Order: sequence, then C-alpha cells, then structure tokens
Amino acid sequence: MSTGKRLTKYALTYKRPILMGLLFLTAAVFTDLAGPFIAKHIIDEYMVLGKIDIKPIAWLLSLYLILSIGTAVFRYLMFLFLQMGANRVVQRLRKDIFGHVQTLPIQYFDHLPAGKIVARVTNDTEAIRNLYVQVLSNFATSFISIAGVYVALFILNWKMALIAVFMVPIIYLWMILYRRFASRYNGVIRTKIADINAMINESIQGMAIIQAFRRERQMTREFDDMNEEHYSYQRKLLFLDSATSFNLVNTIRLIMFTIFILYFGTQSISGAAVVSAGTLYAFVDYLTRLFNPITNVVNQFSQLERSLVAGHRVFEVLDMTGEKVSEETMPRYEGHVVFENVSFAYKGTDYVLKDISFQAKRGETVALVGHTGSGKSSIMNLLFRFYDPSKGKIYIDGTDVTALPRQTLREHMGIVLQDPYLFTGTIASNVSLNDPKITHAKIEGSLKAVGADRVLKNLEKGMEEPVIEKGSTLSSGQRQLISFARALAFDPAILILDEATSNIDTETEEVIQHAMEVLKKGRTTFVIAHRLSTIKNADRILVLERGVIKEQGTHEELLAKGGIYQQMYQMQAKSLLGQHVVG
Amino acid sequence: MFDVLGKLGWFFQQYKKQYAVAVFLLIIASVLDVIPPYMLGSVIDILTAGEMTASLLFQYAGIFLIIIIGGYFLNFYWQYRLFEGAINLERTLRRKLMLQFLKMTPAFYEKNRTGDLMARATNDLNSVSLTAGFGIMTLIDSTLYMGAIIFAMGFMISWKLTFFAMLPVPIMAVFIQYLGKLVHERYMQAQDAFGELNDRVLESIAGVRVIRAYVQEKKDEVRFAEMSETVYEKNMHTVKINALFGPITKIGTGISYIVALGYGAVLITNGEMTVGQLVTFNVYLGLAVWPIFAIGELINVMQQGNASLDRVQETLDYEADVQNTEKPVLIGTPKEIGFSELNFQYPSSQVENLKQISLSLKKGETLGIVGKTGAGKTTFLRQLLREYPIEAGQLIINGVDIASQTKEQVLDWIGYVPQDHVLFSRTIRENILFGKEDASEEEIEKAIQLAYFKKDLENLPMGLETLVGEKGVSLSGGQKQRVSIARALIKDPEILILDDSLSAVDAKTESNIIKNIQKERSGKTTIITTHRLSSVQHADQIIVLDEGQVTESGTHEELLQQNGWYKEQFDRQQLEGGES
Repeated sequence: MSTGKRLTKYALTYKRPILMGLLFLTAAVFTDLAGPFIAKHIIDEYMVLGKIDIKPIAWLLSLYLILSIGTAVFRYLMFLFLQMGANRVVQRLRKDIFGHVQTLPIQYFDHLPAGKIVARVTNDTEAIRNLYVQVLSNFATSFISIAGVYVALFILNWKMALIAVFMVPIIYLWMILYRRFASRYNGVIRTKIADINAMINESIQGMAIIQAFRRERQMTREFDDMNEEHYSYQRKLLFLDSATSFNLVNTIRLIMFTIFILYFGTQSISGAAVVSAGTLYAFVDYLTRLFNPITNVVNQFSQLERSLVAGHRVFEVLDMTGEKVSEETMPRYEGHVVFENVSFAYKGTDYVLKDISFQAKRGETVALVGHTGSGKSSIMNLLFRFYDPSKGKIYIDGTDVTALPRQTLREHMGIVLQDPYLFTGTIASNVSLNDPKITHAKIEGSLKAVGADRVLKNLEKGMEEPVIEKGSTLSSGQRQLISFARALAFDPAILILDEATSNIDTETEEVIQHAMEVLKKGRTTFVIAHRLSTIKNADRILVLERGVIKEQGTHEELLAKGGIYQQMYQMQAKSLLGQHVVG
Repeated sequence: MFDVLGKLGWFFQQYKKQYAVAVFLLIIASVLDVIPPYMLGSVIDILTAGEMTASLLFQYAGIFLIIIIGGYFLNFYWQYRLFEGAINLERTLRRKLMLQFLKMTPAFYEKNRTGDLMARATNDLNSVSLTAGFGIMTLIDSTLYMGAIIFAMGFMISWKLTFFAMLPVPIMAVFIQYLGKLVHERYMQAQDAFGELNDRVLESIAGVRVIRAYVQEKKDEVRFAEMSETVYEKNMHTVKINALFGPITKIGTGISYIVALGYGAVLITNGEMTVGQLVTFNVYLGLAVWPIFAIGELINVMQQGNASLDRVQETLDYEADVQNTEKPVLIGTPKEIGFSELNFQYPSSQVENLKQISLSLKKGETLGIVGKTGAGKTTFLRQLLREYPIEAGQLIINGVDIASQTKEQVLDWIGYVPQDHVLFSRTIRENILFGKEDASEEEIEKAIQLAYFKKDLENLPMGLETLVGEKGVSLSGGQKQRVSIARALIKDPEILILDDSLSAVDAKTESNIIKNIQKERSGKTTIITTHRLSSVQHADQIIVLDEGQVTESGTHEELLQQNGWYKEQFDRQQLEGGES
C-alpha cells in the first residue's frame, strides 16, 4: 500500500472529528457563497438611478451580515474539528510507533544511532502532523470551495460556467507537472541541507581534530561544494516557482477575466441575451474566489513531499517485525543456568560463539575472561535474550529460555552495564525506574547496602537529587553505584555485570568492590571481568578466545593447569612489573 | 525592528543593482495590479448600458492581453531576483559562519554549546534570509501596494466610500496583531512540550538495554502516552487561537462589503457612482485582504530577523583567542620543548588548572604524564596545541617562545590523538587520510599496521572503504581509538601526542601498539598521558600531575623509589593485573 493510502487509512481512525470538520466546512462554503447572490439581488432590484428603497436593502444587508457571521462560526468550528482530528491521528501514530519500537529486536538499536530512531518517533511524525493539519485541511477546504464556486457559477450562467470548467483539466495538468519538477528539486534541497547541517555539526564537535591536523581548507572546500549545490537547486526551484506558482495562477485568473469580457461582450454585441449588472457582479466575485484555493493547494506541495517522505520512514519502522511485549509473569527461578552447545552469529555464518557449553549453579559467580571480540558480550546478550542462539540451547532451571517470553524471563534478571545509563529524574527514580513495586524504603535500603549513601552524602538533596542529561553532573563512580542499587532493588535471581574499565579513584573503587560483593550474594552472577581481584574470587572462570571456551575452572585450577590463563596471568604480571620482580 | 535591514546594509550594497531592479519592478507590478479590476468595472458599465461594440471589445481584450503578458514577465522577474537575493544571503551567511567556526578555538566552544551554534546556522539563518526576500516583499505590499489600492479606490471611485468601507481594517489589523502574539506564545509552549517529548524518547532509546533488562517497556509506553497527551493539549491550545484568524477576517471583510453595498446603493441611486465602479470597488476590497495580513507578517519577520541577525553577528564578531603574531619566527624542526613556570587557567574555571610547570624535553625523547582524572594531563597537552593563549610562564620550542611562532607551524609538527575518539562520517580511508591528505597506499597500510587495526579491518564489510559514523557502521571504542592513532601516525609527526588514547583497547593490544610506536619513532618526540602505567614505563621522563602541579618526576625506576603516588598506583595495578 502506498504511503499516501496508509496515511489516509490512519486518518480514518478518527472519523468523527474529521467528518464533523468537513460538515462545518461545507456549511461555511455555502453560507459564504450565498453572499454574492444577495449582492446580485440588491444590484438588480434596488439600485435604480434616482430611486432609493432603503428598507429592503437594509434587510438584505442584515441577511448578508448574518451569513458572514455564520460563515465565521462554521469556519471556526471546522478548523477546530479538523485540527482536533489531525492532532489525534498523529498522537495515535506516535504512540503506535513508540510502542512498536519497544518490540523491535535489540539489533535495531545496535545498528542505528539513537538520534535517528528518535527522529522517526518525533520529527517524522511531526512532519506528518503538518500533513494532516496543514496540507490535508487546506486541500479539503480548497476542493470544497472550488466545487461550491462552480455550483454557483452554473446557477448564474451555465454557458459561461462551462467555459470556466475547461480551466479544471488545465490546472490539474499543470499541478501534476509542477509537482513532478518541484518534488525533485525539493528532494535535493532537503537532503543537501541535511548534509550541510550534519557537516557543520560534526565539524563543531571535531574542531580540535580539524585544527590539530590543519584540515580547515579541506573542510571549507567540501562545505563550499555542498553549499553551492544547495544554492543552485534552491535557485532552480525559485525559477520554477517564479515562473509557475503564484504568478501563473494570477495569469490564469486574468485570462478568465478576458474570456469573461469576450464572452459577455460578444453576447451583448450580437444581442443574444441581456445580462444583468448583478449577474456580472456576481460572476466577477466568484471568479476571484475561484483562484485563492488554487494558490493554497500549490503552496502545500513542498510540505506534502516532506510529509510523504517522513511517512514512508515511519511506516518502514512500523513494518519491521517486532515481538510483542509480554506481560506474563513467573515465580522467581533458582538461577541454574546451562549453556548447551551454543553457537551464535550476528550475521550469516560469521560465528562469534562456537559450541559453547558450561553451567552456572545457583548462587555461583562466573567470570568471563578474554580479549575484545572473544565473545564475552555475546554471551551476555544471549543470556538476556537480547539475541537468541543460532544453534544449541540455553536452560534456566531446566527450562529452555526460548520457550518463555523475553520479558517474563528478564523479570528475574538484573544488569549493570559498563557505562551505566541514567535517566532524567532523581537518584531515587533511577533506582526504582518509577516501578511501583519498588518502595521508597527499598530504594533507600538498596542505596545503603551498596554503600552509595557514603558517596552521595555530600549531595544537597540526597537521593532526591535531580539527575540531568544522563547523570552528567555525577561522577562515574556515583553513576556506577546507582546502577548497582538499581539491580539490588529489583532483586534478580541472575545478575549480569559488565565491570567498568574506566579509572575511578581508590576510595570509590573500594566502595564499588564492596558493592559487588553485596550484590552477588544469593544470585547467580556473570561478570565480564576486567579486574584480577574479581576474577580470582569467581567460582568459575571461563577463558574465551575467538568465541570458543578454551579453559574453565577456578583461579587455582587454571593456574595449575598451565594453559592460556596461566600464560595470560604471567604475561600481564610481567608487562606490569618490567624488570622488577615482586615475590 | 527595521534595524535588521540597516544591519544587512553591506549585503544590499553588494547587490544594490539586483535589489533596485527587483524592488522597482515589484512596485510597478503592484500598480499594474489595480488596472484590471478598473477595466472590468468599465466593461460592466458598457455592457449594462448596451453600448458594447466590436472595436471597443477588441480594445479592452487587447489591453488585457498586454497586461497579462507584461505582468507575467514583470512578476516573474522581480520574484526571481528578490528571492534570489534571500537565498544568496543565506548561502553567504552560512559560509561566513562555517569559516568562523573553523577559526574558533576551544574557549569559544566552551562558551557556546553545539546545539546553540547549530541553531544559529539553521533557524537563525533562515529568519535572516526571510527578511531579505519575504520581508521586503511584505514591506512593499503592506505600504505601497496597500497605498495603491486605497488611492485607486479613492481617486477612481469615491473617497467617501473608501473611508467608510476601510473602517474595519485598522480594527482587524489590531486584532490580528494581538492574536499573532498570543499564538506565538502558545506555539512556543507547544514547542517546549514537543522538545520534552523528544528528550524523553531519546532517553528511552539510548537506555533501551536498561528498560528491556528491567522489563519497563509497558510503563515506558504509558509515560510516553501521557507526554504525547500533553503535546496534544498544547497544540490544541494554540489551535484555538489560530482558528480565529479566518473568522475575524471573514467578519471584517464582510462588514466592508456590507458598507460598500449599502453606501454604494445610495451613491448609485444618486448617480454618483456606477454599478461597474461598485464591482471594481469590491474587487479592490478583496485585494486589500492580503496587505492587511502582510503588516502582521512584516512585523514578525523583521522582529525575528533582527534578533536572529544579532545572534549570528555575535558569533561572527567573536575574535579568536589565539592570534598569530605579526612577525613569526620560523623554525625548521623542533629540537627542544621547554616549559618554564607555566601557569594556566581555563576561562570558565575557578582555580588554576596548571601551576608552575617546568620541564624540558629533547627531540627523540618520550614523556609520560600520569595522574588522577582531572589532574591536568589533557590541559597540559592542550598548551602544545595552542588552543588557549598562554597567560603566565613560557612554552619554548628551540629557544623561541611559542607565542612568537605561528599556530600553523607548531601544529604541522604535531600528530594528535585525543581522548575522545573523534571520527568523521566518511570512510575509514578518508578518516586516516585526514592526517595526511596525499598519503600513498603503502603509508596507509603501514599506519594501519602500526595502530594494530589490520585484523579489525578484515572484519569490516567494506574494509578501508567502510563508512563510519552517523551514516555508516558504528565502530567500538577501541576500534575508533586505533583509527584515530593511525590518523596521527600516518603524518609521521615530529611530536606525537597520545592523550589517554588506548583506554578502550586491552592490555595486550596496548603494549603492542606502544612497542610499535617506540620502534617506529626513534629520534622523534612522543608525549603520552595514560592511566595504565605500563604504557609509560619505557618513557625517558615521567611526570605525575596532581591538581595542576608536578608532584613527582623522573624515570620509572626513579619514581618507584620515591615511594609516592606513582609507586602506590603501580602496586595496585600490579595486583589487579590490568585487563584481560
């Protein structure tokens, strides 16, 4: 289905206000177009030289006034209803796409920058809002007005009206041609300006690099190319607009008047029919009214293109297959995790995990060790069901995880990311995520348990301290602790912890170590470990290399084994110690 | 309000012929516009009197034809030239801004947020450009065109009728003006609500893993629904005012028509006016609607344009903090870098960020800088990049104060790898070539090998031609850092600066890269800041910074013996074993 059709279908979800709007619109057009008829009547009946008849004129003019007020009221209501409908439709669309994004698999978010996804939900739907509130309501108003004018013209003089009808196909053809060219130019202009702005934005952010490498001239050159191309297309569009849009409508209007003069002139000369002054007056009035709506329609074309492009992007997202968010719950599981011959590839047969088997018993801590790209994060992704295995099975307490809805499974899992994400709100709301089942006391208790109270004590408002812009006012240690407290508050059976690599001062470091111990208690914990102390304390260490478990066991077992782990351990010790040998 | 046109004088001056012609033709076109209605009136009078003849008819049709053809070209020409000026102004200002951005040093970017600067380069630019085209058009329409219509009504028909029929106009204008302000306020509120919605969605997307991990999807949807309801309400709040414009105009013009018809009827029966003139008059009334709106538009456009131009101009007028001296000293290769008693404070900072820094670094040496986060390591490096003027003390290269050298000369020696890995939205090849535009294939190959990026490259879909950044694949932090290192190494700079640039790669890769750098860069100067002490162990000199001061310095061995922060940190890292 084309984007236009689908947008229309969406519009029909709020039929009532839109139909009401159209109804008032029709009423307004009729009351409005009755005006010239009254004028015609006054001119023909009561404007006779030397003989004034005030009373009927006054009556008719009062009627005119009432009709004007009626038009005004109908128009107000029409505007209100149409806008109400349009805004509601867009709100629905917005909610739909936001809800749909929530169901999309996580790779969608891994492949696209956040800003782009946000643009689908907000900016693109805003462009569609403009389509409904501006473009469509203008189109509707214009078409009904034009139709009304033609009805009036036919009532006045069907022959002349017939001539005027010939204008319709001409104008229609012209609109199609205009749109074809204009949409091409508009398309180029739109993408160019987006490119230019992206470049300026990027340049500002990377200015230190541009200047350090003295690439100002290269950047200027590239910028100029884009800026000039943008300008040249703007000029092309301007040329087209100057030649055709308003100017052409004006010309057609004057041509209509010429035809009008010629038609009634020849009629008069041939003496075929006498046309009253009032009819002529009304004709001129209607013909003038005929052309304003046309200009309005033409003016909407560029917005129409923009909205259709935006609509296309929105539907693209809506068309992606998502997985329904399940609200099913299950009792807390024990947390016995088994990986059975699990292989996994993000794409095709490019396996990042190969035949992985291991198990973690309830309450155990498993440390994942390996270089970047060895598959540590992929194991986390699978466990959390951000992705599913390509081959093999994962069991929790003996249940195949794919048999459960993702959300149900995650209910008893917790995660602490390397770079903890904080939301705008307060420290407390970041612990509870505003989930009603996390009480205030629980928030406080969790913060205390992880030792965050010590670190946060110098904040003025304590746990009600506002968090802004991803927590930029807090130190990385503080952010880490808040995310620990969050995990603790949700009391998961399985905890996944991506240890932070960033350097934190020694004092906070100790607090965090302590917090980790608190957190691990009573749950099965998986740690992507960076610190030796964490690894040493683990019940089980998995040494990964290129997606394969090379060794597993405790620290002592692995050292005794004399394999990769032992080598790694020694190499690091050596590289750190240099020529100094420490006993 | 009209200052904006004066402030844009330089532009109008530059294109004065174009503007003179466009404005002149626009005025002619405005005057020409009042002729057809007048002729229509005459024709109607002739028709109703039954005096139409073939020659008269041809005469009228002929004049109409001339007006149609002449008017078409006239309108085309002024429209094209006038609005061409506007888009030209936009282009010119945008270029000026970009050149200014390229000249500005970090102090400027600390004072102005990227978002604000972008707003200037986009929205403000549009508003200014609007004044030079649409603004001038509405200026003429609301004054001269309006004048032409009123004069035509008065002189050709009746001043008395004009006066009475135009009575509602000023009242309407005031109403529209007032409502315009109200709409603007409400519109801003709606925009704010929309902005909040936008931020909210951004958080939901950026924090998607947290939301999913804690099964908050449904609650997030509910919150979103609430916010979208607020946006809806704010929008409808605006709509309620917006909806008044049409009806008010309708009633206003309706009254004008009633006056014209009623009083016109009196005048016609008196014989002071003909029916044709009444038709003409009513067409004029219709024409006068736009100029009434144009006044409101004019005020808006000029006010916004003025404010916008001030903002743009403020940015353009900002003087770069670091200026080249008039008589720079030329130096071939930097043989010695010396800091003597250097102090530095950021414009936005309360305390001194560097205090009494003195040291000397010979060509070929490696300097390691360590210390806690915020100790001043990056600030130290930035002195060499000449991002800020030096206040107290000296930074000397080859015995010449850096202030007496051109910024270009100094930067040409330096290969810089920043802490936050900045890559541009282009291919990896182009990003590496950023370091040396005309590098050969071999040089690229070598830089990649030195930066330990070869293996990663094999896994990328298009190898070197892979697009990165916004439009392409997103690289991991470690990958970005290594591309960034390759970019600096390809320059084979006299001075290589690594600002904690290996934080996201693992210990083994790091030690390999460091080894490569040591081997390749013998005889050239390298400065490394880091958290991992293993990367600076080999350095000829290591300094420990704390709160902007050098607290310890010496070689690795010397520092270990000093038993200070370095030793403590070293022992700690040794226990933890770094990363695996």
